Amino acid sequence: MRQLGLGLTMAAAGLAMALQTARADEELPIGVIAAQSGSFVSAGNTIVGAANLAAQQINDAGGIKVGDKTYKIKLYIRDNRTDVNVSIAAARELVNDIGVKAIWGTETHDFSVSMAKITGPAKVLQFSGNSSLGAVLDDKAVADDGWLHYTFQSEPQEWQRSGSTAKGVLSLLTSQLKSPPKHSVVFVGNDATGQYLSSHYVKALEAEGQKVDLVQYPPDTTDFSPLLTRIKGMKPDIVHFWYNGDSTLTAFPQALKLGVAPSYFLFGVDPGIYQERSLKADVPVTLSCVPVCWGSSPFPEVKQYFEKYFGLGAAKGPQSSVSLLYYDYFFWYAKALEKVGKIDDPDAVVAELLKSDYKGVVSPVPLVFNKHHQVTFATEVCMVEPNTSDQFKCAVEQPPAAPPPGDNGG
Amino acid sequence: MPMTDNSAAKTGAATEGARARDRLALLTADNASVPLPAGVQAVTAILLAALLIALPWLGLGYRFLSIAITTLYTAIGLYGLGLQFGQAGIMSVGHAALMGVGAYASAILSVQLGLGFWTSLPFAMALSAIVGGVIGLPTLRVGGQHYIIITFCFCALFVIVLTNGGTFTGSATGLDVGSVTPLPGINFDKLSNNYYLVLAALFLALAATYLIGISRYGRTLRAIRENEQLARSVGINVDLHKLGVLMVSGLFAGLAGVLQLYYLRHISPTLFGAFPSLYLALMVMLGGARYLYGPLIGAVIVNFLPEVLNLDPVDSRIAYGVCLLLVILLLPGGVAAGIKNIYCALAGGFDRQGGGLNGRA
Repeated sequence: MRQLGLGLTMAAAGLAMALQTARADEELPIGVIAAQSGSFVSAGNTIVGAANLAAQQINDAGGIKVGDKTYKIKLYIRDNRTDVNVSIAAARELVNDIGVKAIWGTETHDFSVSMAKITGPAKVLQFSGNSSLGAVLDDKAVADDGWLHYTFQSEPQEWQRSGSTAKGVLSLLTSQLKSPPKHSVVFVGNDATGQYLSSHYVKALEAEGQKVDLVQYPPDTTDFSPLLTRIKGMKPDIVHFWYNGDSTLTAFPQALKLGVAPSYFLFGVDPGIYQERSLKADVPVTLSCVPVCWGSSPFPEVKQYFEKYFGLGAAKGPQSSVSLLYYDYFFWYAKALEKVGKIDDPDAVVAELLKSDYKGVVSPVPLVFNKHHQVTFATEVCMVEPNTSDQFKCAVEQPPAAPPPGDNGG
Repeated sequence: MPMTDNSAAKTGAATEGARARDRLALLTADNASVPLPAGVQAVTAILLAALLIALPWLGLGYRFLSIAITTLYTAIGLYGLGLQFGQAGIMSVGHAALMGVGAYASAILSVQLGLGFWTSLPFAMALSAIVGGVIGLPTLRVGGQHYIIITFCFCALFVIVLTNGGTFTGSATGLDVGSVTPLPGINFDKLSNNYYLVLAALFLALAATYLIGISRYGRTLRAIRENEQLARSVGINVDLHKLGVLMVSGLFAGLAGVLQLYYLRHISPTLFGAFPSLYLALMVMLGGARYLYGPLIGAVIVNFLPEVLNLDPVDSRIAYGVCLLLVILLLPGGVAAGIKNIYCALAGGFDRQGGGLNGRA
């Protein structure tokens, strides 16, 4: 009898342990679609890096407590090979074959928009760090029955980023130039992102009193000297190498050689890259990151983040800071799930995300989604001391409260 | 009764004409030297159709089905290219732009006039056909590599126009459309239904290609391909037929473009640039432009190879390059010719010409 009791007790204990294990094994499937190969790989890899770090941290901290269950994030990472057809196929697979609850990605507007047409009807949340989504995120699109109801733009609206960046660049350069800069030339790649971004940045500079000329170059340009020579003839005070950072790293040395302008701004070139490549100019140069710099950040949380991010094996590149457009939202999403108490109620999660805030790494100010599912935070701008590669002075100017004149905000 | 000089000359001319026609017949018959038996053709067609129809039921997953849809609409575009290159000998490296004409025509009609898939489709196809003919005008004066360069320039210009087209073309950001308008009881938002829609279009393309191939029109095109001067000398209106086949090719491209648009539901100029065009040319050469199933085989290889072998884009391009070299060196008629040759070898014959024709393989 005693043996039977002992046996029953052990069986009960075993069952309890098994149940405990089963409860601990609950998985929250989350998809990541990013370019791990192809021409967008430098941006795509940062999404994967951020997702891996966030998932590891959440799981190591015990997972996500939803109702009486605890969920561990299980990432399903898919390489879109910088191909829209593969992105679509991956989104179909993640949504329909695997049944993920949310998708992070991807790095380009076109791919994100096409993916949203799959995630939306399936009520799968999508976090995309494309500021150009602002062109399609409107009242109708994000309404309860809208096709972007479950899509969130994890990068600020472009007029906000442009405004924050323009203020930062001008405040840093004005102190270095003999006279306040009045004439800017914006030099930008003529593709979807370049067109969209520059349309806002030009307005932001004009709002700061600049006379602005826009010069576009065809994507994949490698010899910029004819266009740079033309720009030199315009006698600008500042040449702004706007999107994209990879092309800028090719064009900037050519501009220095030609002596195009008395000062420069390089968008999306991290101070860490500037230092690594031993770039040096005899004129003041400003740099901005998307959104904060890994090479020279004044914020301790950001420094800690990048230590962990690179610690997981992520490569240091011009676009490493893009990872911060994706990282915080894992924690915010987890917080929303915990609050809702269910993982199968995407409408409630959307509502919770819209009414909550989250203090993340990317911004000292808590993140909030506006009614069009877009966040707001500032962009860090740093200035390199002339004739140095590693002496930086950084500034973070908050975005303007409203779009500048002539900018419809979309 | 002795012949006069005049009648002798007439007889001589008639003989010359007959010789020319015989030579032309020989030239155009080369690929059909070992036609597959009708039974084999029928069995191949039935098996292929059954496989394609059954695909959504095989449980291969949505990812596979998505790539299958991409493959099918690409193949439809390739059938147009196959006709103009395989049958008439006019190569183009700007075919993606022709698909883009169809896709953008449909998207603009949707955005500006609210026309859906079914109503915009005929207009889009017609516009692609017209543009195909207009681009083909230079073929009346130049051919070969010169025309290839012209098509490449058209492709580049098309992308520039779209990128700078303002809100009308959506600029570089592109245009969005809704779903395919449902038919009674059929909702095309369901992926398998979307697949069957594209598959139906592919069957139409296959049937049209087959019928053109075995028709007098197809033989005329092949005569032009093999010897344009000779074809002209026997009274074939070469110019008209060249423009005609380019317009038919445009029809196929327009159909493929509209299907692509409504599958992605978002298009932008990069989809129709130089790289996609080169890939189309690669696919049709890999598969075999002169064979009924060649374009489909080419599309399958290029779309599924990176999936099956898990190749990244750089490795894929290397693999395609190697494949193309191997095909040029070993299988001038493409993979379809290789398959046919294997069959013929096994069945006791061997087609060394490597160019089975019009539904014969």
